[in-house]
Amino acid sequence: MKGDRSCHGVVDEVKGEVDFLVALAGNPNTGKSTLFNHLTGLNAVTANYPGKTVELNIGSSLHDGINLAFIDLPGTYALGAISEDQWVARRSLFEYDIDVLIVVVDASNLARNLYLVLQCLELNKPVVIALNMVDYAVKTGQIVDATALSKLLGVPVVETVASRGQGVKNLVETVINAAKEGSKRPAVRIEYSERLSAAIADLERFISELTTETPQGVTARFAAMMLLEGDAEFIELYSKLKHGREIVDYAKALTVRGDSSGSDDLPLDVSRERHALASNIADRVTSRTSQPALLSQRLRDLSVSPHAGLPLLAGVMIALFSTIFYVGGLLSDFISGVWESAVSPLLHSAVGLLLGTGVAGKVILWGIDAGILAWLTVGVPYVLTFYLLLSFLEDSGYLNSIAFLLDSTMHKLGLHGRAIIPLLAGAGCNVPAIMGTRVLSTRRERFIASTLIVMVPCSARLAVIVGAVANTIGWAYGFFILGFEALLVGVVGVGLNRILPGKPYPLVMEMFPFRIPSLWSLSKKTWYRFKDFVFIALPLITIGSFAVGALYETGFLWSFNSVLAPLVTGLLGLPSVVGLVLVLGILRKELTLELLLALAVVQYGATGASLQAFMSPVQLLVFAVVVTIYVPCVATVSVLAKELGWKDALKISAFTIGLAVLVGAIMNGAVTQFGLVR
Amino acid sequence: MQEYLEAILRLELKYGVARTSDLARELNVTPGTVTSAVEQLKKFGFVVHEPYKGVRLTEAGRRQGVTMLRRHRLAERLLTDLLHVNWSKSHRIACEFEHVIDEDVARAIEKQLKGPATCPHGNPIPDADGNINEDKSMPLVSLGTKTNAVVVKIVEEKEPLLKYLSSLGLMPGVELRVEQKAPLHGPLMVNVHGSSYALGRDVASLIFVKKV
Repeated sequence: MKGDRSCHGVVDEVKGEVDFLVALAGNPNTGKSTLFNHLTGLNAVTANYPGKTVELNIGSSLHDGINLAFIDLPGTYALGAISEDQWVARRSLFEYDIDVLIVVVDASNLARNLYLVLQCLELNKPVVIALNMVDYAVKTGQIVDATALSKLLGVPVVETVASRGQGVKNLVETVINAAKEGSKRPAVRIEYSERLSAAIADLERFISELTTETPQGVTARFAAMMLLEGDAEFIELYSKLKHGREIVDYAKALTVRGDSSGSDDLPLDVSRERHALASNIADRVTSRTSQPALLSQRLRDLSVSPHAGLPLLAGVMIALFSTIFYVGGLLSDFISGVWESAVSPLLHSAVGLLLGTGVAGKVILWGIDAGILAWLTVGVPYVLTFYLLLSFLEDSGYLNSIAFLLDSTMHKLGLHGRAIIPLLAGAGCNVPAIMGTRVLSTRRERFIASTLIVMVPCSARLAVIVGAVANTIGWAYGFFILGFEALLVGVVGVGLNRILPGKPYPLVMEMFPFRIPSLWSLSKKTWYRFKDFVFIALPLITIGSFAVGALYETGFLWSFNSVLAPLVTGLLGLPSVVGLVLVLGILRKELTLELLLALAVVQYGATGASLQAFMSPVQLLVFAVVVTIYVPCVATVSVLAKELGWKDALKISAFTIGLAVLVGAIMNGAVTQFGLVR
Repeated sequence: MQEYLEAILRLELKYGVARTSDLARELNVTPGTVTSAVEQLKKFGFVVHEPYKGVRLTEAGRRQGVTMLRRHRLAERLLTDLLHVNWSKSHRIACEFEHVIDEDVARAIEKQLKGPATCPHGNPIPDADGNINEDKSMPLVSLGTKTNAVVVKIVEEKEPLLKYLSSLGLMPGVELRVEQKAPLHGPLMVNVHGSSYALGRDVASLIFVKKV
């Protein structure tokens, strides 16, 4: 809703109204966001961290007369600064004056999760641990003693099952108590090895003697740890402070002095010891019984096995797209039926009453009647259904299996396996798919992925393929176009990977056992993608409809005709009037089909009403291919500009337009020359 | 020239073969420069060039390369251990140092530092006879499925990836299990401390392990 709002603004706003500010940190997939939803209800906004693509959820709620605000930080494995996610999580902890920090921990994977907890404890803020997914942990044969854990860490531990809202009330009470106590609670100091402790103490003393100022106002001990870990950001921040250079140099000397046994790699030792400590604590508080592998785990293993994995993937994809076509088709027919019988006549008479039957009235009808109907019949049935299914695949964990299976293929396109998610999302609507490339780590990947997404037929273009080709000359040709597009995406990806400097980013991804997604997070995820379609694509689609209406109704449209004729008729072998359709397609792709029919009637009289009488099968095929390849619509171009800048947006647009003309011309030439198709 | 032989040897030790593109990156020169240099080395009989595969050292080339590698790694040790030069700078400076070190100086450094086995980055230092005491580790990629192994070293210069792996607990000394290998040279699924991770081949070839 408020995607462009900076989170500073939002945090400042809520801060004035609430008693305590609470942040939620945790590893990815620990149920942190589900817990956040339970804590805040519907009362949340999404805001961008300034200058970053990472989004933060911020919400507030009232508990026993105390107003609490919650910030859902990005899920991270550590509080480093090596990715945007981590950086934002860490920065938010420093910058906002947080009263309590909830660290959400997956009870079934305690050792790894405690690593982040140990880092958070170093921050010297009141911490409450939400020991989540205790039910799942029990299923895997692990029982965690929350009391013992609390004693060892010196902070409150609350057991929760976020998916069912269990323990949330208790968590809130504990958080409020911790907030009231403030930092009076003595922090348990994590004990590292002698050598490391000595180095930390040494540096801490050195820092405190020189200055009381630390970057981001952290404690001298935390700053010392960061420098010994070789944290690039802290080193940079320090070099700007007074005495900073001396401190950084001292820290560097400490990290190399070490013993001469060859293991003088202190930065790695810090994380090694923290991991050792984390698994030591986990072992002490967890009792394990051996349990047979869970069905969810076995299914996950099956989905990535060499023999079953690929056939299963093919099956899932076929099921996914047939469901969309079938369910989407039913919904679409239903909606257009209702609209045409009930809404459309109403609109016509209302506009007729107000504006008469002149040009103005007709233009308005293009926009509010045809325009809105188009997005209702494409948007809601196909795009929404598609995103619901996609969210299901993502939340269940199956998309990770797909990323695993396809990583080597994606590598050839200059992407890593996880880029399959935005690419797939492109089959719904290109706009949210391009927004989705934010999850990719390098600009190179985002550029390649965005270019390829633009070439993935979205539901509007699928409608053209179905209407102009599948329904007229046969389904086989419809599938031929889809296959051809897939091939083209592959060729362009391989080409870009060769041309652009750099290498694909390596894949490192956690693989989760399959889960049954919660309805909450499913609907949230679906909406998250669909909202881009609604708020970005829809307004531009409607404006586009008005523009086309105005051009058409005023007759201005025809003046383009002669300009385009050589290109359209000469190169592509299409009737010259189709050129207009192709140009206007940039406003709304599915409009090309309606326009084609409408223009045919004007030019050729009533016979043109049948597409087959108007254009030969070859022409229809060339038309559909050209329409599918070039940049989908103004909405896509504007999102490209927003995400990658105008230069790249224009580059991608020009490239796809050129490619569309080239492919169309070759196809036309080959077909007329060799008679490949009837 | 010696610089090239050393770089080829380093890449051979790491990947088994030195591709010209990797060589260009390693030495920070253009692929064109590499191609002409490789032609030169071929004339001297130091390397053989296998099209589409890369460059391989001949016996004579290897002798030269090992000598340079020895001097380079000893120089690094000298810089970090005795002079306390920053770890990350040591490699760059050692590239200059190695050319002024002869075998006598190399032996002196070795003696002064009590015969270090590895460079500051954990790679073995060849002895005076040119033998490289390779630890019997192998890249994670070459492991079969359902095998357990211990991480020996991670040969990655880029800090972000190294840090990310370490935050997941993937670091030298950690035991892991290869659960699955994706078809078509895809990634590996590896279990560390009860969590499964997908690692691309490029990452997995940087991680060296010993079977247990």
